[in-house]
Amino acid sequence: MTTILITTNQGNIKAELDEAKAPKTVENFLYYVNKGHFDNTIFHRVIKDFMIQGGGFEVGMKQKDTDQTVENEGKNGLKNDKYTLAMARTSAPHSASAQFFINTKGNDFLNYPGQDGWGYAVFGKVVEGQDVVDQINNVKTSRAGMHADVPADPVIIQKIEVVQ
Amino acid sequence: MTTPTRMLALFISDLHLQASHPRTADAFFRFLDEQAPRAGALYLLGDIFEYWAGDDDLETPFNAAIAAALRGLGERGVAVYWMAGNRDFLVGPGFAQAAGLTLLADPHVASFGGHQVVLAHGDAQCTGDIKYMAFRAQVRDPDWQTQFLAMPLVQRKAIIAGLREGSRSAHAEKSYEIMDVAADAVAALHAQADTIIHGHTHRPALHRQGSLRRFVLPDWELDEEPRRGGWIAIDADGDITRHDLDGTPL
Repeated sequence: MTTILITTNQGNIKAELDEAKAPKTVENFLYYVNKGHFDNTIFHRVIKDFMIQGGGFEVGMKQKDTDQTVENEGKNGLKNDKYTLAMARTSAPHSASAQFFINTKGNDFLNYPGQDGWGYAVFGKVVEGQDVVDQINNVKTSRAGMHADVPADPVIIQKIEVVQ
Repeated sequence: MTTPTRMLALFISDLHLQASHPRTADAFFRFLDEQAPRAGALYLLGDIFEYWAGDDDLETPFNAAIAAALRGLGERGVAVYWMAGNRDFLVGPGFAQAAGLTLLADPHVASFGGHQVVLAHGDAQCTGDIKYMAFRAQVRDPDWQTQFLAMPLVQRKAIIAGLREGSRSAHAEKSYEIMDVAADAVAALHAQADTIIHGHTHRPALHRQGSLRRFVLPDWELDEEPRRGGWIAIDADGDITRHDLDGTPL
């Protein structure tokens, strides 16, 4: 297990990544961690009691470029339980790049095969800072241009680093 | 990126889009921009267009704008499904490709978070209207369609204009009951799933009978009084909600 630390302006979240069950997803995620991609990104989509999604935008809803995608490992047996980390994507099954989400409720319908035959690949779980996740889950949200469910006050991911 | 989403699908029907009703079209564009991107899928359950003369009519700017807007929604990650109505049954693969959507048969059983729902336009269930059912059988016949689509576009449009005029005067003569879905036809749909969503009748409602539910979609009209419209949504828990045009749950 690799442990990462997500430092946010709401507090710290520690998560374990399961490279045994989600090897490609973890490798891809660590690629973006080591590039510093996540520094000063935000949790830009917060839907209370569903999930908090981040890692793709900077403050002001400026989207960050990504340069690689990963095969969907949704079939790996890991479930979208509360406080697990999974990859966000477009409707294309293998389109996940850097954006991830933390489930703030058990979301069985996201598990393989989901709605589209693929589901959402879980690759880790929060082991410390669940209270920080809860706090983000409860922030006020509004619309920002094309985007709905954007926190009114930015929830900033200052950095993500490997700690162990 | 709009996924993952708890709102699994939205359903609309009976917009009767036409260039002469610009406010209704604007409401549709606004819906595609603001509401639909929050869902995993959008189901268009018939009579989205007031009429459809054939996929070669895509060159009309109004039709092209609708197709482009639907394509844009697909590009934002929302799966778009289309079921023909009694007015736009000539929509074919050309439009489907231009709009980036998937054509569905009527009826169609879909599964949302494990909950089965039967989707239909609703005209096939109006079995009390014998004249209409005969007309429907004729125009849904592949040979009839091939022959019709072989005519020049202007000629097809002229024929459709005549049919619409005839339909208006025929409606005035038919009773309220005859133009609603028939109980036995509804029962046949319920045999496939406890929940039905359909449009066509312009009589928005939720009908309950024990564990059986039948949701009827509203028609949209923003250019004439009374102004109306709305949609139905289903979420990951299988909860189905009805919404008016500004999104307020009913």
